[in-house]
Amino acid sequence: MDDTPPDHGPAPEEPATPVPSSVTSRRMLMLGAVGASSVVAIRPALAQATASILACQIPVPDPGNAGKYIASDGSLAPPSLLGPITGYGPFPPPSRPFTGDEVQKAMFQGQNLPGATSKATQAYLAYIRKLKMGQSGYTCFLSVQNPRT
Amino acid sequence: MAVPRYRAAEAALLIVEPLDIFTAVYHRPSGITHLLNEPAPQILEALDEAPLDIEALLARLAGTYDLGDADEDDTAILRVRLDELEAAGLVDRL
Repeated sequence: MDDTPPDHGPAPEEPATPVPSSVTSRRMLMLGAVGASSVVAIRPALAQATASILACQIPVPDPGNAGKYIASDGSLAPPSLLGPITGYGPFPPPSRPFTGDEVQKAMFQGQNLPGATSKATQAYLAYIRKLKMGQSGYTCFLSVQNPRT
Repeated sequence: MAVPRYRAAEAALLIVEPLDIFTAVYHRPSGITHLLNEPAPQILEALDEAPLDIEALLARLAGTYDLGDADEDDTAILRVRLDELEAAGLVDRL
């Protein structure tokens, strides 16, 4: 038996019009050029207003939860005497809201928040990172947050 | 040195909204909206399931899309795209 394919043109049964197939319909994807960016960032207006970052405030916890303690993972906890004694939390809320500037220094430069130990600072920062839209301090947190940490 | 692998940011951290030629991606942790154009959304999608190194990513994209003539520069260009996405926080390097 001769396995050589016949050398004539298309087989007669081949349709004249192309049939859509997954192979021929693959979409073209351009990887672009080295110099042409494919990502444009739109930052919240507040993020570029340095003065606002310095002045804005983040209450810990938000006023609706005033008096609650902050556990080391940032969650709210009932007041506890043991936490501050053991040093591992939950920690009593700070006496005043933190400013954006203080939070920024703690978050990106490793400084402790005013009046807080290192462990308490981590707990407060964990709370702040969990802030959601609509909660007190959220907009301020957005403005101190860098796109990359 | 180990070849870096890349992974898309966790889906829960993003709101992705295709807008005709752009894809708007809101990055919850930073509150920043990114407008992506081709091939950035496709790269994010390819890195969504599992981390891939750059060659595997290129192979994945080539399996889904027609990348035109294979070019040595493809890897270099893809690396630039990944760097952009990483800087935006949309892709993590492992």
